Amino acid sequence: MTTPKTPLRPLHLLLAFAAAVLLLPVPAVLAQDDASGVRTLAQHTADVYRQAARYPNDSRPVEAGALDPVRAERVPAPHSLPGRNADSPLITVWSREVSFEAPAPVDLYATVDRPGQGGGKGQSQGQGGKVAAAISGEVITADGETVGSVVYNDDGKGVDRRAGDGIYSARFTLPQGAVPDLAASFGVRVTAKTADGETVGTTGGFLYSNPHAHLGGEIRDEVRDGNLVMSVEVTVEKAGRFHLAGTLAEMNGTPVGWAQTAAELEPGTHTLELSFYGLMFRDHGVAGPYRLASLSLSTTTSMPNALNDLVEDAHRTAAYPLSAFTDRGFGNPGLLQAADRLVAAPGKAGH
Amino acid sequence: MTLRSLGYLRHLALGLAVAAAALLALPAVAQPCFIFVHGKQTNTNTYTSYSAARNYWVSGSRDFIQTATRNYTASYYVVGYNGTRPYWESQSAGEVANEIVAATNGTADGGGHACAKTYAQGGTFWVIAHSMGGPVMDFILGNNDSSDPNYNYNGPYSTVASRISLAITLSGAHRGSEGADAVCFQSNPFCSFIAQFIQSCDDATYWLRSSDDVQVKTYSNAPARSVYLTGGYEAIFGASACLSGEDDGVVQYASIYACNGSATASYDNSNVCGNSSKQESSGFFNLDGAHENHDDIRNDSDRDTRRQIPDGIWTCSGSPCSPNTVVQSSMSSAQFVSILW
Repeated sequence: MTTPKTPLRPLHLLLAFAAAVLLLPVPAVLAQDDASGVRTLAQHTADVYRQAARYPNDSRPVEAGALDPVRAERVPAPHSLPGRNADSPLITVWSREVSFEAPAPVDLYATVDRPGQGGGKGQSQGQGGKVAAAISGEVITADGETVGSVVYNDDGKGVDRRAGDGIYSARFTLPQGAVPDLAASFGVRVTAKTADGETVGTTGGFLYSNPHAHLGGEIRDEVRDGNLVMSVEVTVEKAGRFHLAGTLAEMNGTPVGWAQTAAELEPGTHTLELSFYGLMFRDHGVAGPYRLASLSLSTTTSMPNALNDLVEDAHRTAAYPLSAFTDRGFGNPGLLQAADRLVAAPGKAGH
Repeated sequence: MTLRSLGYLRHLALGLAVAAAALLALPAVAQPCFIFVHGKQTNTNTYTSYSAARNYWVSGSRDFIQTATRNYTASYYVVGYNGTRPYWESQSAGEVANEIVAATNGTADGGGHACAKTYAQGGTFWVIAHSMGGPVMDFILGNNDSSDPNYNYNGPYSTVASRISLAITLSGAHRGSEGADAVCFQSNPFCSFIAQFIQSCDDATYWLRSSDDVQVKTYSNAPARSVYLTGGYEAIFGASACLSGEDDGVVQYASIYACNGSATASYDNSNVCGNSSKQESSGFFNLDGAHENHDDIRNDSDRDTRRQIPDGIWTCSGSPCSPNTVVQSSMSSAQFVSILW
């Protein structure tokens, strides 16, 4: 078949020229620091380190608009696996928690979506709408041993919140023999069969934790050396290493900063201290009281760590004026030294 | 000659000119020693054989290390670890940490290559990590402080963090790979990763799934040293169909660029997460995207288009280029690294 030819006209030439201009690349260069001549990657890194050096390693501010970093690591994210073809159903799975603390049951969820027109790869999840499906799951250890199975339902009963919303739910109780001494990762092989007879599957998972310490309940706050120190009582049942992290927020929930600590502890009652570096309150510009918006304890004796359930809104501090807190940068020596090495002048260290 | 081909040649010439100018304009700055950390393996070869670890970075006459070091102008050290073990184990993260410290002490790698200056002599060290090397470095750099959850878990993480200047990851599997989801427990036999390193659900693959319980972010703090992110968007037939958004045939963009939220969110060069939306609250920074697949990006075999991404490193007329702008027409990631120092 011959394609009809059209003679070039001035308008066509103009359009062709415009198209050619559009096809030309924008001259692009690596960003450079024009004053020192130092390449940006080194200079950028040094700038980042110098800025970060205002704070110690164990306590930092949360950037404006950023998520509570302690809570963010405990919020499970749905994950999907596209089907083989662009119009294949997309299966998405997630669990109620990143980690379930024994003896809690495990709640699992799944949806099956039909990609929209021209959808599939590269499209937003669930763009074409939910698809009814028969969904089942097999719970498997990291070694591949099956410990149980579940059927997901969308009937509004039990763990399923609403019938017919396309979110299928299942509750699984880990057999006693499968409960780990500390923590274990479990995979969930999920298979969905749609009414059209299509089968899709993916692998989900969850952590099951049997932590060796628990929060004791008492939390105190005080200003010490210009920093806000939270003393948190911890009851240890079995010796090991324990990690505590918390995010302090304004009363309206806006995160201000986080702090963490870790220690080797023997059985008994102990106090762990979270020291929120005072400069973060000055930088944030909002006086107390503050909320301990999230508090996470974990047993980190070995991998995988055992995560206690996240405690939200764990404590409310006294009303501290900003003047109670230090306005001096910490001067983190490790970061400052790293910055100096990166942009050392010729003849000095690093060249 | 068509207008398109004329445009392409112009494109090519400009790209080469820019690259040459960038090379000629090199200022006198600290010359780093490069430490190379490979990705996942289906056997222990790179752990037991130096030549296997070294050849990981080679394809025919092309050699990532030769190119990135500007024909060995910079010194280098090649790490070999057990790429079949989970990223956090002693033969993976522990081995990598020990080797990095050895490199900074001036010890030669298995091929006799040592950093030109030790840390004590004022040397600086950049880590280049591919694929699973990403979460390995995340685990090390996120557990370097005594307040971190897994401080010095099985190696000298604190020494590593104090001695290296930065890390650059090439298609790092920071959030795992959907390929691992497909392969593990044969959950989706339609997704073919038969030719890829995740062809079986070994222990390393299990810990590279998208589920939060195996993600490095669950067991680490923010990295103590900046981690710069570049990755590929050239598909691999069969495998890429099972990956969300842009991908390099093995790892999807949400993982390559260490995005927060879902590890399987669909991203491309226009909308991949910026520096404020990473898996940790700080420490991860975007560089750019390359039209290379997961293998190409580590062996300099495909000198192809590069594109700006949100918060990327390239500037156009003095301002950051718009995301998805073609910034280079024929530059491999090895060449890209060579103009960063």
